[in-house]
Amino acid sequence: MRETKTYAGQWLSDWYGIFIHELRHIFSDAGAMVVFFVGGLLYPVLYNLIYYNGSVDEMPVAVVDLSDGAYSRRFVRELDATRECEVYCGCVSMAEAERLLQERKVHGIVYIPRDFDASLARMEQGHISTYCDMSSFLYYKNLRTASSLVMLDEMHQIQLEHYAAAGFDAQSAYELVQPVLSDESVPYNKPFSYTIFFISAALMLVIQQTMFYGSSMLAGTMRERNRSYSSLPERLQGPGMGRVVLGRGAAYMAIYLVVGTIVTMLIPRLFHLPQRADWQQVLVLLLFFIADCIFFSFTWGSLITRRETVFVLFLSVSPICLFLTGFSWPTTAIPGFWRVFSYIFPSTFGCRAFINLNTAGGTLQTIAPELRALTVQTGVYYLLASVLARIEGRYGDRIRKAGFL
Amino acid sequence: MRDIYRVLRREIRIFRQRQLYILASVGVMIFNAVFYLTLMQDGLPHDLPVGIVDCDRSSTSRSFCQQLDATQLGRVIYYDDLHRARLDMQRGKLTACIVIPEEFNADIQASRQPHIGYYVNSLYFVGGALSYSNILTMVNLTNGAVQRQVLRARGVNEKEILARIQPIVLDTHQIGNTTTSYGVYLNSVILPGVLEMIVILITVYAIGSELKYGTSRHLMKTAGGSIVKALAGKMAVYTLIFTVLGITLELLLYHWLHYPIKGSIWWMFVDILLLVAAAQAVGMFIIGLFPNLRLAVSVSAIYSVLGFSLAGFTLPVEAMMPALRGFSAIFPLRHYYLFYVQEAIFGSGFAGWWQQAVSLLIFLGLPLTVVRRLEDAYIHVRYERD
Repeated sequence: MRETKTYAGQWLSDWYGIFIHELRHIFSDAGAMVVFFVGGLLYPVLYNLIYYNGSVDEMPVAVVDLSDGAYSRRFVRELDATRECEVYCGCVSMAEAERLLQERKVHGIVYIPRDFDASLARMEQGHISTYCDMSSFLYYKNLRTASSLVMLDEMHQIQLEHYAAAGFDAQSAYELVQPVLSDESVPYNKPFSYTIFFISAALMLVIQQTMFYGSSMLAGTMRERNRSYSSLPERLQGPGMGRVVLGRGAAYMAIYLVVGTIVTMLIPRLFHLPQRADWQQVLVLLLFFIADCIFFSFTWGSLITRRETVFVLFLSVSPICLFLTGFSWPTTAIPGFWRVFSYIFPSTFGCRAFINLNTAGGTLQTIAPELRALTVQTGVYYLLASVLARIEGRYGDRIRKAGFL
Repeated sequence: MRDIYRVLRREIRIFRQRQLYILASVGVMIFNAVFYLTLMQDGLPHDLPVGIVDCDRSSTSRSFCQQLDATQLGRVIYYDDLHRARLDMQRGKLTACIVIPEEFNADIQASRQPHIGYYVNSLYFVGGALSYSNILTMVNLTNGAVQRQVLRARGVNEKEILARIQPIVLDTHQIGNTTTSYGVYLNSVILPGVLEMIVILITVYAIGSELKYGTSRHLMKTAGGSIVKALAGKMAVYTLIFTVLGITLELLLYHWLHYPIKGSIWWMFVDILLLVAAAQAVGMFIIGLFPNLRLAVSVSAIYSVLGFSLAGFTLPVEAMMPALRGFSAIFPLRHYYLFYVQEAIFGSGFAGWWQQAVSLLIFLGLPLTVVRRLEDAYIHVRYERD
């Protein structure tokens, strides 16, 4: 029967055989299953639980109000009313406040000097100093935001009072104080919640990293037993590494369509993260991204010759990938060399595309540049994966004997 | 002692035979240090792209744009319509977008209070937050500038003008990081975190591979049948490497790169040594608990990655769910971080961090609880291969 098949028919039946073989192989390996399913699903849930609140509210602040007048008290009251800060206690001296800061009972100090009210009454500038605990940027951001907003509000009130005292009528004083009005709009993530920044990037990264670790573990196990995927074509009729690479890839695609759908659609729903894109469009992105991740994993997995080494060597790549997505440190500020380096990883484009699509409510047109980049990457990694498998098939024994890694 | 020395020599031989160890410890550490230190070498980002749709095109609006462009944080990109600007904002190319309405200048001159609209891109953390405060400042400066013109025309003197347009001056002091450097803040904890990760993984791998490759009996024989001697000899090699890595890291940060430190670098050495020791103890505990290389490596991978988040230097622990807060204590990195805050930021010395030092020392008791289990596994070599 076999001889009667056409080249395409032969190719397809080989492809199907490898696809099934790989699926069996994955499902019979408990370790890989743990990485794919437990790792792939546990991490998103854990991270969502850890970053559930996403912002520091009512951060305790110590106030040293030496002026103790109407203006300073109003300032303190308004600071207490902000979402960001809460006045933990009024201290009598800086020494007391410093002690509280050191004991980490408060995360900032607001110091109002003795002449604050007097200066304002004399129509001079009043000074306020804030001291921020820099051990976390969120502490700094909280105190800074709260004190600036209160300062601006106070400023306008005091200005109005001053102009009224100088004989301006209410309307012209108001026009003078705010000659330009501003309309602020913070779409996508209004409270600057850390959860939304972090999780949106982490979800896609989890897909890439679990696939890379899991498939490299499997490849390492095969190589430990002196077998390899690269030897498969010799048993098949006719040449062609494509069948092997694509057949194996299809198995991962099948598994990751399930994992990926849960991670990118169900998890955000469960934890009330923004889901502003159509699910069909997220699915399209997922297809591009998973295909890229598969060949990425195959290519870099060729370096792994033993089962456990992938974690020992490449675990610290995960946080590096996370930073390269630009979720916190802006992409424009990443030095040129590292920006080029970041093009190695599918996550660089995948995470950004997911954020722009899902959090910002974009469309496929919005993420077109990322999709293009993912396509180019997929092509390059497909070729590399095939070439590396071929090289391994030919020189694998010699490489293994050298025992590197 | 002779037995330990024999184990030590055996371990050095293994170490030299497999390049993995040197690559996964020194290699990974160097790569990470170079990465994080060069990634954030500027300390704080500058020239963040801000889109402007200027519908007025008057001298006032142009001057506003030029001044925004001249700030350290901002770099202006002009757009003809909001649609394009919005698309680029959605694509993450802009950190913010400002719309200046038509008749902006005329409205100001006629006191008709025109509206400036600004949209802040809150998709990406640091860029959005910085651009936000930059624009807020610029809008207020614009208001100040207009007021100053009016007051000058009325003949008010300059000192009084300043008091009128800015009655309250706010000066912010950043304790322990005066330049608000994001690099200093992040690298001070993330690099020790990477070291912790390396220590745990290598400890688990070194002890576990004896099981996997069936060499544990040979090891026990070399150690004269004592598991304590076997582990002591084995760990001695890695302890030395990790110690050197840790000390070098602290020297790199606080001596060569001049990261701000209020206390003493000697106490930071103590901190990193305690971190290394505690991480080794955790590694031994994990492999003792799961005497199966594959499982132990997976567990340590999950554990050490979570350590970064639960150390609480990005999102503070008190902002996490109450049920999770306690878990932060099981990560050595958390105690390292609290120790670092006291020593490097506040300089409060022993009184400030002794509890953290004690916590890190408690980790050292962990291996004792599993040493019998490990001995059993080493002698009976019950190892599931799949």
